[in-house]
Amino acid sequence: MSAEAVAATTPAKTDGWEPKIVAFCCNWCSYGGADSAGMGRFQQPASTRIIRVMCSGRIDPLHVFNAFLEGADAVLVTGCHIGDCHYVNGNDKTKIKYKYLENVVRELGIEKERLQLNWISASEGERFANFIRDVTAQIKKLGPSPLKPEGVA
Amino acid sequence: MQKGEMYVGWSTKDDVRKRGGSGGLVTSMLAAALEKKFVDAVVVLKKINEFEAVPIITSDVNEVLNSAGSLHSVPSNFAKLIANRNLKVALPAKGCDVRGIIEQGKRNAINLDNTFIVGLNCGGSMHPVVTREMLEVMYKIKPEDVHGEEIEKGKLIFETKDGKEHAITIDELEEKGYGRRESCRYCTIKVPNNSDIACGNWGVTGDLVGKATFVEINSEKGAKLLQNAVDAGYVQVQKPDEKGVAMRAKIKGVMEDLGKKWKGKVFVPIENGRLEYFRKELEHCIDCGACKTVCPTCSCGDVSKCTEYHFRGDAYKMSMYHLVRFLHLADACIGCGQCSDVCPADIPLTRLYRRFANPVQEQLKYEPGMDMQKPPYFEVKLNE
Ligand SMILES: Cc1cc2nc3c(=O)[nH]c(=O)nc-3n(C[C@H](O)[C@H](O)[C@H](O)COP(=O)(O)OP(=O)(O)OC[C@H]3O[C@@H](n4cnc5c(N)ncnc54)[C@H](O)[C@@H]3O)c2cc1C
Ligand code: SF4
Ligand code: SF4
Ligand code: SF4
Ligand code: FES
Repeated sequence: MSAEAVAATTPAKTDGWEPKIVAFCCNWCSYGGADSAGMGRFQQPASTRIIRVMCSGRIDPLHVFNAFLEGADAVLVTGCHIGDCHYVNGNDKTKIKYKYLENVVRELGIEKERLQLNWISASEGERFANFIRDVTAQIKKLGPSPLKPEGVA
Repeated sequence: MQKGEMYVGWSTKDDVRKRGGSGGLVTSMLAAALEKKFVDAVVVLKKINEFEAVPIITSDVNEVLNSAGSLHSVPSNFAKLIANRNLKVALPAKGCDVRGIIEQGKRNAINLDNTFIVGLNCGGSMHPVVTREMLEVMYKIKPEDVHGEEIEKGKLIFETKDGKEHAITIDELEEKGYGRRESCRYCTIKVPNNSDIACGNWGVTGDLVGKATFVEINSEKGAKLLQNAVDAGYVQVQKPDEKGVAMRAKIKGVMEDLGKKWKGKVFVPIENGRLEYFRKELEHCIDCGACKTVCPTCSCGDVSKCTEYHFRGDAYKMSMYHLVRFLHLADACIGCGQCSDVCPADIPLTRLYRRFANPVQEQLKYEPGMDMQKPPYFEVKLNE
């Protein structure tokens, strides 16, 4: 069963609540993927805020912390497939940085669904849309992030 | 003399030998290095009272000679003192001090080729404030009346000015929350083989007990340092007996196992409510920044990521300052305990930082401060 199907059969913790998902996308691949998703008219929830960076290597763990502290229910780190980075090895660096970041976020007690890494090329519109849909379903089940400041929806 | 050799030795100056922690060899070796222009300066602890001392950089041989003796209630941080100074220096250092110095070396803040590290075996050190309280509560003596302290056969012994000795086992003290700092209990660097030469009293036998220092040479620099002291007539050495060598290895093993056991006791996995746990512990942080200033593996200086993006007015659910430090120290924290020592809000910071560092360092099979291996982040071959 896909995560979406699971979500459809189990009642969500917060009915009608739309999570806020921050997706960091690199200019050359995953941002293109998001674009293709739109052009291909793949349905996706309105939960995502995309932040475009030139390369996934530019995503500082600090940006991720900041998104969580400002109220993101999930943060997605995305970029080109390994070997396809426009700046040769930016995403290799992302991969290493992510390992540290993931450890800290997990140890803090944040559920693993709330921080995810994915490589998506500019032509993979459907993959992008599915990813967003799956994450949205997972987060709907989990409910709002425990790091969300008081008074932020 | 060369790497791998072991000796038992002592200071040829009677007065230094008497005052020294176990024979005054360390003090004399440092003094000889200075006298023979082997180094430009030496770092030693300058005592203020029985429980307080400050590390000083000196080129005065007498000041070095006066520093003989072990202070168990002073966790010193020598790494930051010599960082960014470009000194040719020799200094004594406990396991954690050595690790801090090596980490500063990796960050190009200390030139290790010009740094002669005299390692001290270390069973643990105590916090001065806790020590004072312990004296009143457990020993029923006034801290001002204390004249000296030593550790013998698992007991912490204080001598008072009236000549009396007061002894309590360290186990009993720690059961009551006193004794060694928590980080020392689970520290497993008992013989600092990461230094140039490791010195201690373990392994000294027979008549020499209390009057000689056991040394193990860990590097060429260490060999030179000892040879220089012997040539200068400052110290006398002989080969250790087999019994002593075996005894030292055995105690080292026992202490390391004990440290591992403590680690398990302190870091009981928290299944639920981890975020709440960290939030609660950090609730009283006043953002003074002392934990960063003292941290021997941090070399960012005043302008740093952890401070520049942290605004108290944000009123976030977690401190950005600590989040960044949790991340940056995941592969760098050496568990020296200094952050807990200095926190004015009494936050058990080392315990919190190690929660992140333990799993990361185990996963990466990386122990900072033990050798020159770079943090794995920098060692990954990119695009292979
Ligand atoms: C906290 C502590 C715990 C120790 N535990 C053990 C042990 O369990 N087993 C063992 O075999 N040996 C231990 N030692 C080492 C031992 O006590 C002697 O220091 C060592 O044998 C060298 O003796 P020495 O007479 O040659 O040194 P000395 O000639 O007395 O010279 C000692 C030097 O160490 C410096 N020093 C004193 N206190 C400290 C401190 N807290 N931090 C850093 N530098 C300091 C002094 O400035 C001096 O330069 C410990 C030392 C310390 C400081
Ligand atoms: S942390 Fe280890 S080396 Fe440092 S003072 Fe404690 S026991 Fe000694
Ligand atoms: S975080 Fe604390 S225990 Fe770790 S190295 Fe820094 S001061 Fe030492
Ligand atoms: S030393 Fe304590 S009060 Fe100061 S910044 Fe660190 S945790 Fe906060
Ligand atoms: S440009 Fe896409 S990851 Fe570097």
